[in-house]
Amino acid sequence: MGSYEDAGAAGDVVLDYSHLSLNTFNVDSISDERKRDAKQLYLSYNRLASLPSSVSLFCKLEFLDISNNGLVDICDGITRLTRLKTLVAKNNRLDEFSLPKEFGSLQLETLNFSGNRFEEIPLQCMKLLRLHSLSLGGNRLKSIPAEIENLTSLELLYLGGNLISAIPPEVANLPYLTYLVLCDNRIQSIPPQLTSPLYSRLHSLRSLSLHNNLLTYLPREILSLVHLQELSLRGNPLVVRFVKEMTYDPPSLLELAGRTVKSRNIPYSACDLPSNLLRYLDLASKCPNPKCAGVYFDSCVRQIKFVDFCGKYRLPLMHYLCSPECTSPCSSNPQSDAESEDERSVPTDRLQRVLLG
Amino acid sequence: MCLGSGRSPFSIMVQSIELQIGLPRQHIKGESLKLGEKLVALRQLSSSGKQARREVTTMEQTEVVKPETLDDLIKILHKIFESDCINVEEVQNIMESYESKPQEWKTYAKFDQYRYTRNLVDEGNGKFNLLILCWGEGHGSSIHDHTDSHCFMKLLQGQLKETLFEWPDNRSQGEMVQKSQRILQENKVAYINDSIGLHRVENVSHTEGAVSLHLYSPPFQTCQTFDQRTGHRDTVKMTFWSKFGERTPFETTLSQENN
Repeated sequence: MGSYEDAGAAGDVVLDYSHLSLNTFNVDSISDERKRDAKQLYLSYNRLASLPSSVSLFCKLEFLDISNNGLVDICDGITRLTRLKTLVAKNNRLDEFSLPKEFGSLQLETLNFSGNRFEEIPLQCMKLLRLHSLSLGGNRLKSIPAEIENLTSLELLYLGGNLISAIPPEVANLPYLTYLVLCDNRIQSIPPQLTSPLYSRLHSLRSLSLHNNLLTYLPREILSLVHLQELSLRGNPLVVRFVKEMTYDPPSLLELAGRTVKSRNIPYSACDLPSNLLRYLDLASKCPNPKCAGVYFDSCVRQIKFVDFCGKYRLPLMHYLCSPECTSPCSSNPQSDAESEDERSVPTDRLQRVLLG
Repeated sequence: MCLGSGRSPFSIMVQSIELQIGLPRQHIKGESLKLGEKLVALRQLSSSGKQARREVTTMEQTEVVKPETLDDLIKILHKIFESDCINVEEVQNIMESYESKPQEWKTYAKFDQYRYTRNLVDEGNGKFNLLILCWGEGHGSSIHDHTDSHCFMKLLQGQLKETLFEWPDNRSQGEMVQKSQRILQENKVAYINDSIGLHRVENVSHTEGAVSLHLYSPPFQTCQTFDQRTGHRDTVKMTFWSKFGERTPFETTLSQENN
């Protein structure tokens, strides 16, 4: 965030050609020595339609800023900048076809493509295994590829201001992710794997930005993100009142059998069952009710509890229970584990699912 | 020649500032001075604050002093706030007339990756607090009040969205009522106090950070934050990310923003 100006040590050769209304970048007018030694090159706020391939002559370059130009693509020459750690190319006209084929071979740690025209995160970007920081805010992204999990060093992922409607569960496999920004998108729900203490590796997540989306509730497991200090939720149609969904379909025979196998720990192996049933048994979810050793598959009761969390008042957290008789354990916040007000007044046999607010 | 130097201010008409090409250029970073040097020279000149300029109108008797630097602005504010009576328009005009120069406030503009920061610049002899707030991309505040104080907010860099809200009814529980919304441009000054209402401030840009200069008088240490969906309020303690250019970590790390 803020400025990148402090990148690099004192004594580094910094070439500043920003704000000069340049139509072209004339590399020849720079001495060979300067080209060889330059560590940082600023070319932002010009009128460059393209970056000359001769930029590769800046062989020691670590920092390149080509923001606020009219760039429609990035030249092949850039892939020869083997020392390049930071590339900032905000506010250009780049899309997923603009990158050279070997872009993924760069050793980038910080990449900022915000304010461009990307409709997809290019697959070349998923090869940048040293990436700590990826910004694609203010583009036209419709989805996040599952390959995002390849970026195992990722600490910052900024995808605000796009057209994303779903978060792939693979985002949960980024163990160093501390800042995840998904604001100003079209997300309707958070996949449970993202916050599940069982599946998620998001142990470092410190800040989660979800404002201006289409969320009506959050998964209960969000409470397990113990390092979470910042959470933004304004501009979501979060429910204010919710009545326990009692019209739940009774479990099928398959489900009942599966529940019995799992809860009684009946041993089984690959030669006992066809593969589709083995897969089915793997999908069992444990009932969060501490008094219930049960599991459920598809048939469950949904219940919302309102919990104060991370500076927010009464967040609707969705609980899944294996049967109407189960209750969810208390939240980590003793202050407000209030049930929906309506539940007490409506008779059990006539409760219907109502989403209000 | 720039106006006002060494002449009586009351006898001078307002004229536009004439640019002079040919004044000695400061050394510019970077190679190839032939490239766009004229543009660079013009840019350097118009931002040079070396000569004090006074703009005066003959119609009014009072002298309007334009603060050239941030230090100038702080000195003028100290003088204005010596009196117990605040003329809101006067403060707004003075703050608006300072043209933001990043070199002058860079040392206070400390950004945090995760949320906006509050950086104390001056304690105004106890009469006011002057702060610089740094908003990363997408950072926003909760809906909050101003604890019976005046609040002036000037954009030093970038843009901020201000959404005004009515105070929630003590009895009714429901979504808070939005009054108005606007985008504040660079160098503009907004004013609010509790009788006007409550507001939320956000940097809605996904590509640029924003920096704002805030004046609160009298200074206050706590304020109320409001939940937009229900009008529920909490009292929170205000903390500083830095004071006078030095980073000052605070004890609590839990978020107190309802945003």
